[in-house]
Amino acid sequence: MNLNLFKKTVSDRWRSTAVFGGGILAYVLMTTALYPTFRDISGIEELLDKYPKDFLRLFGVESFDITSFGNFVTAELLGLMWVIIVVAFVLGFARSVIAGEIHDGTMELLLSQPISRWSVVTSQALAIAAGIVTLVVVTVLGIVGFGAALGIEIFYRGFFAFIPVGICLLLAIAGYSLLFSTLLKDPRRVVMASAGLTLAFYMLHFAGAYWRVADRMDVFGIFHYYNPASVIDSGTVPVGSLLALLAFAAVGFTASLVVFRRRDVAP
Amino acid sequence: MPETVIHTEGLTKYYGKVVGVQDLDLEVFQGELFGFLGPNGAGKTTTIRLIMGMLKPNRGSASVKGLDAWQKSVDVKRLVGYLPGEPALYPRMTGEELVRFVDSFDGGREASGRALAARLELDLDRKVEGYSRGMKQKLAIVLALMKDPPLLIMDEPTNGLDPITQHVLYEILNERREGGTTVLFSSHNLPEVERLADRVGIIRAGTLVGTERIEDLRGKHLRNVEVIYAADPPDGIDRVEGVSGFERAGNRIQLKFRGDLNSLLGVLTGRELLDLSIGHASLEDAFLEFYGREGGETR
Repeated sequence: MNLNLFKKTVSDRWRSTAVFGGGILAYVLMTTALYPTFRDISGIEELLDKYPKDFLRLFGVESFDITSFGNFVTAELLGLMWVIIVVAFVLGFARSVIAGEIHDGTMELLLSQPISRWSVVTSQALAIAAGIVTLVVVTVLGIVGFGAALGIEIFYRGFFAFIPVGICLLLAIAGYSLLFSTLLKDPRRVVMASAGLTLAFYMLHFAGAYWRVADRMDVFGIFHYYNPASVIDSGTVPVGSLLALLAFAAVGFTASLVVFRRRDVAP
Repeated sequence: MPETVIHTEGLTKYYGKVVGVQDLDLEVFQGELFGFLGPNGAGKTTTIRLIMGMLKPNRGSASVKGLDAWQKSVDVKRLVGYLPGEPALYPRMTGEELVRFVDSFDGGREASGRALAARLELDLDRKVEGYSRGMKQKLAIVLALMKDPPLLIMDEPTNGLDPITQHVLYEILNERREGGTTVLFSSHNLPEVERLADRVGIIRAGTLVGTERIEDLRGKHLRNVEVIYAADPPDGIDRVEGVSGFERAGNRIQLKFRGDLNSLLGVLTGRELLDLSIGHASLEDAFLEFYGREGGETR
C-alpha cells in the first residue's frame, strides 16, 4: 500500500463522500422524524398485515412489527433506499479509480513512478473502504443521534451491530466493482456492469421468496447475507454472514490484483 | 564500449490483429541522446510504453540497465524520468501539489522541481485545469526531469511548446547529456532530431527500419535546392551524384539533392550566382527517399 496514493485518492473523493454523507443524513433525518407519526397511526399493523409477506422482503423486513423503530428504519431506509444511495457512491468511486485513471491518462503518470501495480490497486481499494466506513458510520450515528434527539426509544446495540454488516455488504460490492474497473476500458461500463450485477443479486434475493430455484441460488448472492432488520432487532453481529460478504470482497479484490498486474495501461 | 542502457530484443506488441511493433531490436548506450524518428502511428509510443512497462509484450523483451521492463517495472521506474506523448495530469491539483505528489514516491527532489519550473517560466501555483496545453507540457517535463534520473524517456518532448521554451528544453537536455544522462526521445520533427540526437532510430509500420548516427543520416537526407544565376547555369548539374528532380526555367534551377553538399556546391558555384537557397526537404520527402532507397538495406 502506498500511503501517498491512498491519501490522494481519499482527498480526490472527499467532496463526493461529503455530498453522499450529507444526503444520507438528510434522508435519515426525514425518516426518523416520520417515525413517531407512523407509529401512532391507529390500525397500521392491521393494514400491514394485508401486505403479502414476501413483498416486505423487498424492503429487508422479515417481521410484520414494522411499528418498531428498527423495522421502520429498515423498511424506509436500510432495506432499499440506503442501499441504492451507498451503492451509487461505491460505483462512482470504483469508476473513478483504475478504469477512470486509465481512461483519463493519469494512470500513465502514476505508473511512471516507482510504485507497483499491486500497490496502486491496494491503495485505491483501501480508499474505497475508507469511504464506505465513513458513510456507514455516518448513517448509524445519524439514526441514533436524530432518534435520541426526537425522544425515540433506541436499541443502540442493534444499530451498532449493523455497522459491520453495512460495511461488509458494501465491501463485497466494492470488490466486484473494482474487478470491473480493472477489466473494462470504459468507466461507464464499469458502472453498468457493477450496477447490473448488484441488481441481479437483489432480484435473486427477492425472487427467492417466490421461486424455489432462486431461493437455492440466493446463497451465491450478496443480499442473502444482508438482513438489517434481524441484526438491529437482535443486536447480534451475524459472523457467518460477515464472513460470506468478506469472502465476496476478497475474491473481487484478489481477482482485481491478478487482472491489473497483467493489464496494458494506455489511454 | 559504452554500457547498454536500453535493450530490446524481438520486441513485439499486437493490438488485437493490428501490429504495434514487431521484432524490434534496439540498443541505446550510456550517455547518448537517441532520437526515435517516425511518422504518426509508426510504433514510437508503443515502443516507449513497452520499455516503460505500461504494455506487456506479446513476444520478446525490453530491459533497462539489465532489468526486465515488465518483470522489474518498479526498479526500472527508479532509473527513469518519463514524459508521455500526451501528458495527462490531475486537473484539480496545482502544479506545486503535483510536484510534491510525484516527489513523494522518491523524495527530496521538490527543490529541483521548483528550479526547473522557474527555468521553464511555469507558474506552479495555478491548478492544472487552468493550464494551457504548453503549460501542461512544461509541468510534465518538470515532473520527468526533477529527480535527475540516469535515463530520460520522452515521447514528443516539444509538443505544444513555444520556440523559446523548446530552446530552453534543448539546453537542459544537452546539459543532462553532458552530465552523463542517457536520453531516448521520439519525434517526427527531423530538424529537432538532427539538432539534439547522437543517433537516430527510424521506425515505420511497427518495424525498426534502421539506426543511424546523425552525421550519416545528415549525409543521406534530402534537401531542396534553388539557384538563380546571372546568366545560363553551368552544365552537368543534373549529372551530379545525388541530384534528382532537376528543373530549369531560364536562369533559375530547382533540384532535390541527397548526399555530400560539397560535391554539389562545387558544380553550382561554377557561374555567377544571384541567389542560392538550400533547405531541408519535408520530413515526408526525406522519409520516402530514405525508405525508398535504403529501407531494405539498413536492417
